[in-house]
Amino acid sequence: MKKDIYEKMEILANSAKYDVSCSSSGVETSFKKGELGATHNSGICHTFTADGRCVSLLKVLLTNFCIYDCAYCINRVSNDIPRASFSPRELADITINFYKRNYIEGLFLSSGIIHNEDNTMIMILKTLKILRYEHKFNGYIHVKLIPGSSMELVEQIVKLANRVSSNIELPSDKSLKLLAPNKTKEKVLQPLKFARDLSLAKNQKPIGMSTQLIVGATPESDRDILKLSSALYDKALLKRVYYSAYIPVNNDKNLPSIITKPPLLREHRLYQADWLLRFYDFSWDEIVTDEFPNLDEELDPKTFWALNNLKYFPMEINTASKEELLRIPGIGARGVMKILSARRFKRLTFDDLKKLKISIKKAKYFITCNKDFQRQVPFYRESLKLALIKPEPKKLIQPSLFDFDFSAISGEL
Amino acid sequence: MILVYDGTFEGFLSLVYSVYYEKLKPKNIYKTLPNEMIFEEIKGIITSEENSKKVLDSMKKIFPKQLLEKILNTFMCDTKEFEMALLEYVILGFKDTKQLFNINLESIFYLNNLEKELFKNIHKMTGFIRFEELEDGTLYAKIESKFNIVYFLGKHFLKRFNNQNFIIHDLNRRIAFVKINETFSIQEVAFFDEPNYSSNEQKFQKLWKSFFNGVTLKERINPKLQQQLVPLLYRTYMNEFFDKTT
Repeated sequence: MKKDIYEKMEILANSAKYDVSCSSSGVETSFKKGELGATHNSGICHTFTADGRCVSLLKVLLTNFCIYDCAYCINRVSNDIPRASFSPRELADITINFYKRNYIEGLFLSSGIIHNEDNTMIMILKTLKILRYEHKFNGYIHVKLIPGSSMELVEQIVKLANRVSSNIELPSDKSLKLLAPNKTKEKVLQPLKFARDLSLAKNQKPIGMSTQLIVGATPESDRDILKLSSALYDKALLKRVYYSAYIPVNNDKNLPSIITKPPLLREHRLYQADWLLRFYDFSWDEIVTDEFPNLDEELDPKTFWALNNLKYFPMEINTASKEELLRIPGIGARGVMKILSARRFKRLTFDDLKKLKISIKKAKYFITCNKDFQRQVPFYRESLKLALIKPEPKKLIQPSLFDFDFSAISGEL
Repeated sequence: MILVYDGTFEGFLSLVYSVYYEKLKPKNIYKTLPNEMIFEEIKGIITSEENSKKVLDSMKKIFPKQLLEKILNTFMCDTKEFEMALLEYVILGFKDTKQLFNINLESIFYLNNLEKELFKNIHKMTGFIRFEELEDGTLYAKIESKFNIVYFLGKHFLKRFNNQNFIIHDLNRRIAFVKINETFSIQEVAFFDEPNYSSNEQKFQKLWKSFFNGVTLKERINPKLQQQLVPLLYRTYMNEFFDKTT
């Protein structure tokens, strides 16, 4: 039976949803007169799904037919699920009409592998060409490169897309062999390396690239994962690494049982750590060490680091450098900016911080403000940890008949 | 003393003029006279083109451009009572513009945050505003926003819909940003009839809903988070949040 377009849309969106990346940021505003579409540097979310994820791009598969049999993937060939595909023209038309209604920033195009890798890439390329040349579309396009496709095709895609990515999915070769027998880490990274070298050779700003790692399907520690991310950032290969808490979709002897809940907290902690790598100038071996190869569940990675490095604290808010301020738990980049601009005019006290709406719930244990400091909790690792994990409940003041305020000297009311 | 002005930028500049030359010490400033009883002396400010121009000219000499823009932006937050803070801001600026960067001062911090709130509002609306296609291909959007942001949205969409005609209609303020061919302007809209939509419109709205339902991860559902990210206030014209049965 031929499926109608609504059904197709639901199937192909459903098949693409496990890809978490949906950002449209990091591309300078560029528009051409008389054409359609522009990108926005900060990215724009057009709606949020019921699971709380930003919808920025029309994220669909061109087709969810696939010849691969990756154990973690919903679209594996051995799964009995409804299958569908768009024609390039059909998809381009939907993209343009969605864009004109301001539903989306652009297109996120990925695909199952139909006959072979090149064939699939050609279909993707065709969609891009219709959008860019026929519709004069300048909006955002993110393409998932197909590992194992020819370099000429990658080159053409890179020219037309704003961002390309290739999912490593599993942090080690061993796990890949076990769960995705058709892929290797080399094979996955090769199109990305090629795309980078391409832009380097032309002295251009490299095209933005990202990848995704599945968390919790295999036994790698957070240390392995962050070490990998950090290496990928350092080599200027990637702009973003996404972490996806593993949601069991298939029963497989090599995978955690289908009833396990996705490790959302671990995913959250990994993102926090990732932010420390990218914006707070931390290195991966500061966040995860031999002693603690996994991120702490109770405390965020920055607080955890601070507790293990009390020698740097307490810091004086009025004299610490920008880099030092960024290391204070509970104070983010915006807070640091506020502190820097406010302290040019006066020496800041705890009250000033409160007025500037800087949260000191966590920070108060690690700072001094104009030599003032909190006195409730002694400055030892264990007592601080206890205080941070269990913030003291607000004291209930029970009014009592005998609770008068009287002068200590005369006893008068 | 209570001052009442007409809510326009020129009106406010005239107010600044009066405060300076009549040495007024206002306790509060209103756009319209409030209903409650006031035991203060009330003075109405008459908008004067001449006086407002004098103030504006001297402000242009003293205030850096970015700060003048901040003052104009503040005026777009028309549902807030920003006047006292803004008056303090202007007076402070005439004394010493350096102090205008001192966020330890209450009025400066307030105005900074207000501007941030405005930009946040604009940014959200650039994502959440929805256009519908009319018979003649014009893209038409209705908004009911907290602040007066039609101008900012218009500027944003001039870039993306460069080869389209579009209208952004603020129902609350009865104004619209209209772009037709090469021209664009903000117009007053006193009356309007519901326009005729293109025959494609229903199809793509339905398709959008199919997509929206398709991408949700059932295993991670979290409506509280969703509502925090798309407050109900914004959902009036977002069809993916309309009743599921239609």
